[in-house]
Amino acid sequence: MIPWLLCALLAQAAAASPPPAPDPVPAALAAARAALDAGRPQDALQKLLALGHPEDPRVAHLRGVAEYRADDYAHAIERLTPLLGAFPAGSSEAREVEQVLGLSLYLANRIPEAIPHLEHTREWAADNMELAQVLGMAYVQTAQPDRARASLARTFGVPPDSAAAHLFAAQMMIRVERDAMADEELKRAIAKDPRLPHARYLRAQAALFRGRFDDAIALLKGELEVNPASAMALYLLGDAYVRQEKWGEAIAALQRSVWINPYFSGPYVLLGRAYSARGEPGTAEPMVRRAVEMDPNNRAAHYLLAQLLQQTGRAEEARREFETAARLQGP
Amino acid sequence: MRRGAGVLAVAATCALLAGAAEPEKPLGFAFVNVARSAGLDAVTVFGGKDANRYLLETTGCGAAFFDYDGDGRLDAFLMNGTTLAGFPKGQEPTHHLYRNRGDGTFEDVTRKAGLAFGGWGQGVCAGDVDNDGDSDLYVTSFGQNRFFRNRGDGTFEDATRAAGLGGLGSGGATRWGTGCAMIDYDRDGRLDIFAANYIDLDLATAPTPDSGLCRYKGVKVACGPPGLKGGKNVLYRNKGDGTFADVSEASGITKAAGTYGLGAVTLDFDDDGWTDLYVANDSNPSTLYRNKHDGTFEDVGVRSGCAFSQDGKPQAGMGLAVGDYDHNGFQDIFKTNFAGDTSTLYANTGDGHCEDRTFMGGIGLNTRWLGWGTGFLDLDNDGWLDLFLVNGHVYPEVAQIPAEAAYAQRKVVYRNRGDGRFEDVTERLGPPATTPRPGRGAAFGDFDDDGDLDVLVNNVNDVPDLYRLDSTPGAHWVAFRLTGRVSNRSAIGARVRVTAGGVTRTDEVRGGGSYASQNDLRVYFGLGPAAGVDKVEVRWPNGRVEQWAGLPAGRIHALEEGKGLAP
Repeated sequence: MIPWLLCALLAQAAAASPPPAPDPVPAALAAARAALDAGRPQDALQKLLALGHPEDPRVAHLRGVAEYRADDYAHAIERLTPLLGAFPAGSSEAREVEQVLGLSLYLANRIPEAIPHLEHTREWAADNMELAQVLGMAYVQTAQPDRARASLARTFGVPPDSAAAHLFAAQMMIRVERDAMADEELKRAIAKDPRLPHARYLRAQAALFRGRFDDAIALLKGELEVNPASAMALYLLGDAYVRQEKWGEAIAALQRSVWINPYFSGPYVLLGRAYSARGEPGTAEPMVRRAVEMDPNNRAAHYLLAQLLQQTGRAEEARREFETAARLQGP
Repeated sequence: MRRGAGVLAVAATCALLAGAAEPEKPLGFAFVNVARSAGLDAVTVFGGKDANRYLLETTGCGAAFFDYDGDGRLDAFLMNGTTLAGFPKGQEPTHHLYRNRGDGTFEDVTRKAGLAFGGWGQGVCAGDVDNDGDSDLYVTSFGQNRFFRNRGDGTFEDATRAAGLGGLGSGGATRWGTGCAMIDYDRDGRLDIFAANYIDLDLATAPTPDSGLCRYKGVKVACGPPGLKGGKNVLYRNKGDGTFADVSEASGITKAAGTYGLGAVTLDFDDDGWTDLYVANDSNPSTLYRNKHDGTFEDVGVRSGCAFSQDGKPQAGMGLAVGDYDHNGFQDIFKTNFAGDTSTLYANTGDGHCEDRTFMGGIGLNTRWLGWGTGFLDLDNDGWLDLFLVNGHVYPEVAQIPAEAAYAQRKVVYRNRGDGRFEDVTERLGPPATTPRPGRGAAFGDFDDDGDLDVLVNNVNDVPDLYRLDSTPGAHWVAFRLTGRVSNRSAIGARVRVTAGGVTRTDEVRGGGSYASQNDLRVYFGLGPAAGVDKVEVRWPNGRVEQWAGLPAGRIHALEEGKGLAP
């Protein structure tokens, strides 16, 4: 058919039929998207429910995104899974479906299922540091340390084979209690750069938690050689000595920590414990009270203060402090 | 020349000797696991072996040492559990009662005694509830707790309903009984019954590992207890007519600060002659129920400093030991907790408070093990109470975590040095203390009447262990079997003070104890070099004090209320 004829036929048909009703979906989707962008996912969900058309992939897509934003991962997964392939490959809708589905699966602790979607997303968002972090943690949770380190290196902007990459990977592994994996990373970090700060500190923290006090002390001394002004290393060293009841060494380390950083309540609590154990409640109490002042929600500080008050015969004050410590446990 | 060479050789030997480590003093005691040769061979079944869907499958069972047939010898009772899949009728695992033959072996008399009951069994406590001269049993379960009245002829009857002790929980949830203790809280001469409740659990709605919500170090595990509804403890008052009244609300028992109760034990914490209760709560502050002398209790755990860790954190309390480890005349508390945490040693200061001496006492060194049953016992009869801990991980899935202590774990044995500190001597003891076992409940008692306390351990999905303690002869001991007449006949709540060789030691007859278990109701004292007892003072549960003098060591003395001298 020749083109001018087609145009004429179309014009005739249009003149003969009533004007089509305006499609309500785009406007409602725009309103829902605006609510989402304004941080009101419930509002967006209400607008989408009012709209109807749940089978419309455009509506289902945005509902899935809104459910994800409303922390309802189970429904987001249910909504978005059938939409894989529903939009043209490479379109912004297809990308968002896959990205949000991957994140929802991750947050629902369905991590092995999340990984392929997050990996696909990475193909077009290679520089997205949040995505790299989530993917890195997913690899940690599924015991893939090399992939985890590579992904987390992107998050923190360091070369994937550097000592720093091993350190960052270890730090993130510790956050999810993958202690053995983290320790391997830390050993490799130190092997690559023996003067890397913080690596021995993290190993010492694990040793202290495991009750290996001598190991912790040796590691902390090593840390202080490469990072001499680390108030946290001194604090942890004091903690290790407190656990060993080496009060003199503990007090020296903790006092140094406080001189470097007087704004952290932890060392004051331990100083209080050390002085109390040395039979110096008069010195201990101001230390602990200072910790309470600095950090009124510090449960350990209130608890130690209660113990000190109890030891010095102030039963009523002790009772109040015990109860404050109990209240700070939360419901 | 030869002489000179000799001098040099002697000097070199002296130098070598001086440089060598001083040989360690012998411990003076050893354990032998005699369970198999003694005939304790029934497997305790409890949930899945390799993976668990619900926390219900993790807690295991308690054990009891008590004399059910009145022959003066300790018999053994081991609770049993089941699996989620259950068993065909007639093949269900049952609890097991083993009669002590007196020759180092036991006979399984479960069916003969009428105790072939099963289910999700948890805790057990024993005492003469009806004051008829024999020990009755109360057992806790996920589901119906049961009261077994001892008929006195070697058999028991399930008197749960007749005694008014039914009750499974409310709504869709089922009550999950754990530690229990017999206690005469109102001093009316009759034993009442206390039971801790862990979780009001509804298996239909409780999340499972498949939900992905519950992980331990990255591994999917059974969910809880946080997120699940905590149980409320119960107290039943013995009305004296064979029935009980539920006084849980009226007595204040339900008003505890913490929930998720596991181990329970009686003690007179403030030494006022009225029996108190202590409950180890999981992930919550522990409960110290102070007896207010008017039929009510008040939870003073938090305000007394007996509820949290040294840092003020709630711990995952499991098992309990009570004893006067520092000889100050007051009952101290030891509590086992989760892996990654220390056990807790609360020293009773005598002024109504606990002083946390976990680290000062040398206990803070061990954070690797997950503790359950525990007891104070004088391993070498030197007069200082030592500690025995039974361990085992909650999650079978820890096998997937290489750095974690395994599911089956070794024991921990602490020797009391007598200077306020304990020393871990487990490695020096070697097997069987160092042999990994999936331990849970443990009962402490002298089954062979040789003057030291042996340990009966109930393992999960395994046969039990019986650790016979063999103490080196030399140190002296004395023990007492108390019989109440006006007070409850089992004398639970009685305080015994023994003076020997110028040292006074104090202990009690206790209901419950350890983890969901019942220890020997007789009271044992190591006397060290003292070959005799100068004075024994008993404060009976009704408050009356009597004395005995000049009793020889090396015997179990029967002390009856009303037969002693007034002080």
